[in-house]
Amino acid sequence: MIERDVLLDFRDAHVGYGGAPVLAGVSFAVRAAEVVGLVGPNGAGKSTLLRAVTGAARVERGAVLICGKDVRELSTRARAKMAAVVPQALPVPFAMRARRFVELGRHPHLDVLERPGPADAAFVEDAMRRTDTLRLAEQTVDTLSGGDLQRLTVAQALAQQPQVLLLDEATAHLDVNHALQILDLVRREADAGAAVLAVFHDLDLAARYADRIAIVADGAVSEPLPPEEALDAETLSRVFDVRAVVRIEPVTGAVAVVPIVRGADVAALDRGLVGLVCGSGAGARLQRELARAGCRAVCGALNDGDVDAAVAQALGHELHLLPPFGEADAAAEAWARERFSACAAVVVAPTPFGRANVANLRAAVRSGSPVVLVGDVTPERDYTGGEALTLVREAREHGALVVASEDEALAAALAHLETKEAHGD
Amino acid sequence: MSASRTRRAAALAALAAALAIAMVAGVAFGAVKVAPSEVLGAIGRAVAGAPGPVEDAVVLDLRLPRVLLAALVGACLATAGVLYQALFRNALADPYILGVSSGAGLGATVAFVLAGSTTLGVLVGVPAGAFAGALGTIALVVVLAGRAGRLESTSLLLAGVAVSYTLAALTSFVMVVSRESMHAVVFWMMGGLQRASWPYVGMLAAVLVGGSAVPFLRSRDLDLMLLGDERASQLGLDARRFTLVMLACASLVVAGAVSVSGLIGFVGLMVPHAVRLVLGPDHRTLLPASALVGAVVVVLADLLARVVLAPVELPVGIVTALAGGPFFVWLLTRKERAA
Repeated sequence: MIERDVLLDFRDAHVGYGGAPVLAGVSFAVRAAEVVGLVGPNGAGKSTLLRAVTGAARVERGAVLICGKDVRELSTRARAKMAAVVPQALPVPFAMRARRFVELGRHPHLDVLERPGPADAAFVEDAMRRTDTLRLAEQTVDTLSGGDLQRLTVAQALAQQPQVLLLDEATAHLDVNHALQILDLVRREADAGAAVLAVFHDLDLAARYADRIAIVADGAVSEPLPPEEALDAETLSRVFDVRAVVRIEPVTGAVAVVPIVRGADVAALDRGLVGLVCGSGAGARLQRELARAGCRAVCGALNDGDVDAAVAQALGHELHLLPPFGEADAAAEAWARERFSACAAVVVAPTPFGRANVANLRAAVRSGSPVVLVGDVTPERDYTGGEALTLVREAREHGALVVASEDEALAAALAHLETKEAHGD
Repeated sequence: MSASRTRRAAALAALAAALAIAMVAGVAFGAVKVAPSEVLGAIGRAVAGAPGPVEDAVVLDLRLPRVLLAALVGACLATAGVLYQALFRNALADPYILGVSSGAGLGATVAFVLAGSTTLGVLVGVPAGAFAGALGTIALVVVLAGRAGRLESTSLLLAGVAVSYTLAALTSFVMVVSRESMHAVVFWMMGGLQRASWPYVGMLAAVLVGGSAVPFLRSRDLDLMLLGDERASQLGLDARRFTLVMLACASLVVAGAVSVSGLIGFVGLMVPHAVRLVLGPDHRTLLPASALVGAVVVVLADLLARVVLAPVELPVGIVTALAGGPFFVWLLTRKERAA
């Protein structure tokens, strides 16, 4: 890989507004043709980091360099020639014409008393063409929709001919179509050689558009890493206090983050064990509700890559991890039966049964713990040639309860838990 | 591009013509009526240095300086209004509501009481006092309104009103303490142009040119300020320094106007707002157009003040306040579509 030029460089930068630094010891670089995303909780200092580049926040120690020059030694004008900002889309309450609005982006290239000339008009025209805003040229900006206005703001920034582009939640308040449009535009600018540092509040968009992602939290900025390394479940739990499933979204090929529950809501799973026979995500909601109720679920043996396995790992439930597409062997089944027998009850989620998970059903039925079935197991749910149906019949003969909904199953399981507690277990 | 330039030139030419007509009317009407042709004749003879009839003196020594002064006062107040509204991004900002007029009034009153007996004191001391008062007031209002540097509309206006009342009370106090000049000060503060004379015209013309040249040359920077301080900085404008320079310019023209005509309210509010609605927010047009419209408004207001109860003259500030008060209420109750 070719080492491209570093256009934006944070060197042990301490950034703040005069008091205690908001961010300390920030060290990373953004190279040409690269998009670095910044994610982190509200108020962590993501925008402050961008402000350190534009001069609106102070670099109190260390240095921030744009194209090799220390921002503190650059004039406002010189800085604006090299670095442009696309801020959040905000309504503009005055009737300025769109072309004039974009033309203001030429300001840093004009002397104090200089009027924009033909060359400037050409840059404005080009910026508007690239952002597909030429047809808006004669409209006034106070009449435009949020998406149009934001594309004009990008055009204004491009008219600055920046080498560094800073995005401060540039897609906040925009619908998904306009958000993708803005980010596609920015991606194109990066591909053409710009260095982009972008604050994202949407983790999926960050993972999709950033080459590397840095986490801003607790007064520090982490080393930017590729999205799949930066956004792991452990980091999300630590930084955002959410339990989330992180996986590669097959449609986009990008990392996708599905938050399940706030960490504070599932702080300690110490109320007791409840077994859960699940698979393919059929037990995801029950897993979440059990965690909310303070119960640790025992999910049996699940394949790596299975949605229920991912949810169980994110929430801290118990499971026996099988290789992808592998079947549960005798050892796995024995583990499941032993763990299910320690549970106050075992809930059977409305999952279909196949070779992979029928072992869990067998373990549940033979564990000796009370079994609660969400819906009866019908032949349509049985892909085991009748084994699952036989097991369910056996369970019902031993007093298994069949309920209509997950909520009823949850209530029944919690009732079993209380009975168990009452017996001083 | 050239279409908008033509449109702009046409608008400014039309406004200049309107001002010329208003001024001729202002000179023609009054206690003694002068035919418009005689007005132009007298001016022509004076310019050519030719001798004219005795009536020329009414035109040249009384009416003309007064009308010119009215035009200059209007231009100054409207220019200040444009600047304040752009810098604070607030359609309700004007020198009167921000308390700058009151501050200039206090400064001018103190100077008037101390040095009002000499010509130099009136022509230099009073405007200088007004300028000091105006600058001090806007600094105080800005500090009170925006502790963290953010000037939110409501706090700015509240601070302006509070400071304005305090300064008005102080001005009254100074007047009462200096009994002998009280009558003159009271009448002057109510807003009037009866003391118009050529030296005043010269002084205020210099102030207007001095205070509006820099804002006009930097009209693109004023456009940038409409996007907010932070955005303006991102686009390469040192917003903080620019704001200070513009506030000094605005305070200078307000001080000049107040020192010759007392407190004339609402011109700085109404005129820029109306012009912006019609011609848009581009300061290359807005600044000169507002100055011209402000001039027309004060010339006509002064004409009304002179003829409504003739031979009794009303202070012109009463006329502008009668029109401006309802306009302000309309602006407040209108949907928040500021600047």
